[in-house]
Amino acid sequence: MNMIKSSSKKAKTPLLELRNVVKTYTLGGTKFNALDGVCCKIFDGEFVAITGASGSGKSTLMHIIGLLDLPTSGEVILEGKNIANLSENQLAQIRNVTLGFVFQQFNLLSKTPAIENVILPLLYSDIPTSKHYQMGLEMLKKVELSDKIQNTPGQLSGGQQQRVAIARALVNNPKIILADEPTGNLDSKSGKEIMDLFHYLNEKEGRTIVFVTHDLNLAKQAQRIIIIKDGKIVGEEKC
Amino acid sequence: MLKLKPSIDDLTKSAIRSILKNKSRTFLTSLGIIIGVSSVILLVSIGNGLKAYVSDQFESLGSNLLFVMPGTIAENGPRGSSSLVKFTEKDVSNLKKINNAVVLPMVETRGKVKYLKNEEKTTILFTTYDYGKNMNSLPSSSNGRWFTQSEENQKAKVAIIGPELKTKLFGDASFLNKKINYSGTNFKVIGVLDSKGRGIGGQSSDNAIYIPISVGFVIVNNHDVQSIVIKADNKEDTEIIKKEAKEIMSKNYKKEDSFTVADQATILSSINTILNTLTIALSGIAAISLIVGGIGIMNIMLVTVNERTREIGLRKAIGAYPRAILLQFLIEAIILSCLGGGIGIILGSLGAIGIDKIFPAKVTLNSVILAFGVSTAVGIIFGVAPARKASKLSPIDALRYE
Repeated sequence: MNMIKSSSKKAKTPLLELRNVVKTYTLGGTKFNALDGVCCKIFDGEFVAITGASGSGKSTLMHIIGLLDLPTSGEVILEGKNIANLSENQLAQIRNVTLGFVFQQFNLLSKTPAIENVILPLLYSDIPTSKHYQMGLEMLKKVELSDKIQNTPGQLSGGQQQRVAIARALVNNPKIILADEPTGNLDSKSGKEIMDLFHYLNEKEGRTIVFVTHDLNLAKQAQRIIIIKDGKIVGEEKC
Repeated sequence: MLKLKPSIDDLTKSAIRSILKNKSRTFLTSLGIIIGVSSVILLVSIGNGLKAYVSDQFESLGSNLLFVMPGTIAENGPRGSSSLVKFTEKDVSNLKKINNAVVLPMVETRGKVKYLKNEEKTTILFTTYDYGKNMNSLPSSSNGRWFTQSEENQKAKVAIIGPELKTKLFGDASFLNKKINYSGTNFKVIGVLDSKGRGIGGQSSDNAIYIPISVGFVIVNNHDVQSIVIKADNKEDTEIIKKEAKEIMSKNYKKEDSFTVADQATILSSINTILNTLTIALSGIAAISLIVGGIGIMNIMLVTVNERTREIGLRKAIGAYPRAILLQFLIEAIILSCLGGGIGIILGSLGAIGIDKIFPAKVTLNSVILAFGVSTAVGIIFGVAPARKASKLSPIDALRYE
């Protein structure tokens, strides 16, 4: 764990860097590159949108950034360390400590109270069990759901469920929050609330936020937009 | 190696929670194990009860008896097996030369006994005056008497009957000196045994009829003696007498395995061997239902893993490493199976206690520990495959799963 959390924080070092990343899938016997030589850097404190048409490779890119998937070739450098040689257990640990995930489908545990959903990542962390509840409570307060602690997902609206999911992503105090179409399942009002929450987390707490969306208008809310097409980055940033 | 996170404690808590979310499914899944474990407990209890019962009975006979039997003990089960040697009156008189012991020959057969219009199928025993002296249920004074030595010598047609047989034949009417008919010969009833009596071999005498062996030989028209019991006057002499009896018998029966002289311990241990084998065989059959129960658990765990694919993906995405997922599902399977095991033990024990009222059954700690161990093992064995499947899911595929 310590080797990941490097103490030196040089201004020019990106939090995350992809170098010439290729991801090849085989579908029905034919190979195709979902990502075809992607280079990009994400710096501490940035608010980045990844956008593109469906099938463009934006989700694959998200998975590579989230360490949920490994590239076929190319390098992923997180906090200055190449993750290529890490074991599955070490990757799980980085996902637990350094990354926070928000999904389009919320992915909350059904029939399980909000508080327990929020503290789920803590179960897999080194943080002692005795502190979990208090930490979960603080996160629910942050997303303004302190009155819904014991509510199960079924008793919450879509927007509230996504806020529980964001609380869950925040509970481990991660460096980067990764959101995959976070407003895709919400009405526009709830969607706006979620985006406002992201802005707050970015501006007031200085958190790095990367989110994927197919909606260019939504993407425009970010400081920087990465446009991807046919597995290649076509907008904003090239190497 | 990474520290185990979450702890087994936390995993157990969350497993119990997820099992409780689906109560009826949990019950049905455990049912196989419940049935398996309770039948194992029940059958082992019956086996133990029988063993205790048999050794009880043997001990009550006294430990100074020797049994002279044709063949080996193992062959002695099916009566009258034609390959076995048949003892004769001569063997009896030879054995009578042994000092400090009584020789009690006996022939046992089945047949019909008639009194007026009442007819009963029953056990008929041909035996001696001495045999009667050694029974614990001789007729009490108002109920007549056993036959005398001179009646035996004179081949008197007299009979002593068991109390149940008496009721069947005579009802409440008087029976003394009445004639009953067996195999075309009339016998005078001279006594009725006390109830709950036993012959020298331990068999119940309540429903039997005893006649002098000398008459019996005439009726069946041969002089074969089925079994001979030797009763030592002193318990200490039993070993020596056993040796003497063997020597006497081996003069007439050269083949070593054509006869056996066994003391009670030998017979008891061979009966115990048979009962043990029986218990193991029955438990083995019951254990099949444990395997079926295990497959039920595996099946439901596979369904659970499928249903919770998204949850597994999420857990992996937020930092659960494969072993944490594996343990989570394995513990769930073990809890399901232990739950079944626990309920099974309770039901099986209650069943055994209930059965004990009509048939000897005895729950032992060993069988409880064994049953619990087996059900835990079943949980582990049949839980591993689904749990491994869960732990190997890729987080992306799992999260995409609809």
